[in-house]
Amino acid sequence: MNIFTIVFDGLRRRKIRSALAITGIAIAAASLYSLVALKEGYESGMRSEIESMGAQIIAVAKGCPYEAVAVIMIGGQVPATLPMDVTGKIAKIPNVASASPNVYGAYQYLGLSHPIIGIEHAELALKPWWKIKGQFPANEGEIVLGSVEAAVFAEKSGEFKNIGDAITVVAGGKKVNLTVVGILDATGSKDDYSTFTTLVTAQKLLNLEGQVVTVNVRVNDIAKIPDTIAAIEKIADVQAVTVAQVMGTIQNLVKAAQTMLLTVMVIALIIGGIGTMNTMMMSIFERTREIGLMKAIGASQTQIFTLFFTEGLAISLIGGLLGLLAGLGATLGGDAILRSIVSVMPTTSVGKISTMAVGLTLLFPLVIGAFSALYPAIRAARLNPIEALRNE
Amino acid sequence: MLILDSVTKIYTRGREKVHALKNLSLKINQGEYVGVVGPSGSGKSTLMNIIGILDVPSEGSIAIAGRQIKDLSASEQTELRRKTIGFVFQQFLLIPTMTALQNVMLPLYFAGAPDAEKKASELLARVGLDKRAEHLPNQLSGGEMQRTAIARALANRPSVLLADEPAGNLDSKTAQDIYGLFEEINKEGTTIIMVTHNEKLAETFPRMIHVIDGRLGNDQIK
Repeated sequence: MNIFTIVFDGLRRRKIRSALAITGIAIAAASLYSLVALKEGYESGMRSEIESMGAQIIAVAKGCPYEAVAVIMIGGQVPATLPMDVTGKIAKIPNVASASPNVYGAYQYLGLSHPIIGIEHAELALKPWWKIKGQFPANEGEIVLGSVEAAVFAEKSGEFKNIGDAITVVAGGKKVNLTVVGILDATGSKDDYSTFTTLVTAQKLLNLEGQVVTVNVRVNDIAKIPDTIAAIEKIADVQAVTVAQVMGTIQNLVKAAQTMLLTVMVIALIIGGIGTMNTMMMSIFERTREIGLMKAIGASQTQIFTLFFTEGLAISLIGGLLGLLAGLGATLGGDAILRSIVSVMPTTSVGKISTMAVGLTLLFPLVIGAFSALYPAIRAARLNPIEALRNE
Repeated sequence: MLILDSVTKIYTRGREKVHALKNLSLKINQGEYVGVVGPSGSGKSTLMNIIGILDVPSEGSIAIAGRQIKDLSASEQTELRRKTIGFVFQQFLLIPTMTALQNVMLPLYFAGAPDAEKKASELLARVGLDKRAEHLPNQLSGGEMQRTAIARALANRPSVLLADEPAGNLDSKTAQDIYGLFEEINKEGTTIIMVTHNEKLAETFPRMIHVIDGRLGNDQIK
């Protein structure tokens, strides 16, 4: 018999009380895990999404640049466009490493809307990680499919099986034939769900001849980004934003959802903490005579304190572990819930396993447990054995 | 040997001062079997608490096993209590979440004694409960619970066993068995001091002490 058999036999044989205390802590731990993991997953998801654009600066037509970028990220028609020659002007600015013009739009196929992006070779300078099976689109009507789109089309269309096959889509109210010349290897980003074509093809499909939606810019020296932005904005009707600014805007969009989760978490933490303390206090009141007896048969103050403090920590640790498991499950569901509230979501699930959240979830219940067990354990240790034994 | 010299104990209950013991002197030799009787509120329990080192006198002194209690620190008192005194209570006071064996092991655990499980098993066998070792208190009869409590009280081989109405909650047949057990333990050399309301029973003990109004009344030694 050692302290652990005493504590765990005690917990095991007082099932209901132990279960209630452990549940309180577990709920708090689960909500803590979910919040931290979802927040982290969301931020890292959005960051990699934006990084997958390969650009540090995005040039758009004057108007609301954030709205323009948000529309690009969720898809849809952008209200204002830039003339073609802007790309050349931007490319000549010092510190600009590469400038890639993009045209964003969508076409209808298999009863669904699919995003299509017109690009030039400059896109490869922004996205050096791209691996294309087949060829980069060079002529009008040629497309490269993202890996997910390619798999879906191959399974459902009946027209597309291999590179070289053509598909008939609807764009701008007309039927158009597009030839698949390449398939993009999986990137883990939005690109997997997109179709890429030449700038001219996209412009024709979307009735945007001679225009581009954005010019995505990569710089040589990140420190000089403010100067570069100033230079870009000297071009008439052009406005530039950095990806950092876009990121900040997107984070504002999801603040509402985070505030809601935070409220839930704070309430759960308070209930969990008070619950543990209450359980510990009740457990000591209930066992006043036991404590008196332990003192009579030779327990020191330190031994009594250690017993009750260990019990509090054990409840918290078990609760924390169960909460962590529940939290891991909940974050998967949390992804679906967030998707229904927040319009801008990363392509990949935000319910990833976060080491920071795991660490916090294991640490936090121990801190709460230590705090809430400390006072009751000290009280138990200081109980007067005579009064404790007299207690009915 | 136990020596109480002019022990006075004063409690403060609210604003009222209660003289629980008044100038009480008493000497009990090793191996005695002493019954303590007296009306409720007479100071019997206070006397037992002071002998059990759960309480200290307000005035006067007590020496147990040759050591003056007032000279000991709190932890030295705990240590002396652990080694010298065993307690048996009317309500048994077993820990409900521990088996009979674990209850007997508990004082050995607090004392950091080696071979706790072996010693506890032997003690349970000694009180005739070797077959009930793995039972929880609520699976034991009243007599079995009190036997377990006695085994627990003996765990650290105390020289003095303090019993407060040990058969008060038991039927008369079971009570006889428990008294028999105390007699056996006494024959092995352990001092037994037992509080009881049953004067007839106490008269059968070798020595009977009356406590009345905080003072020592009759002290009959046969």
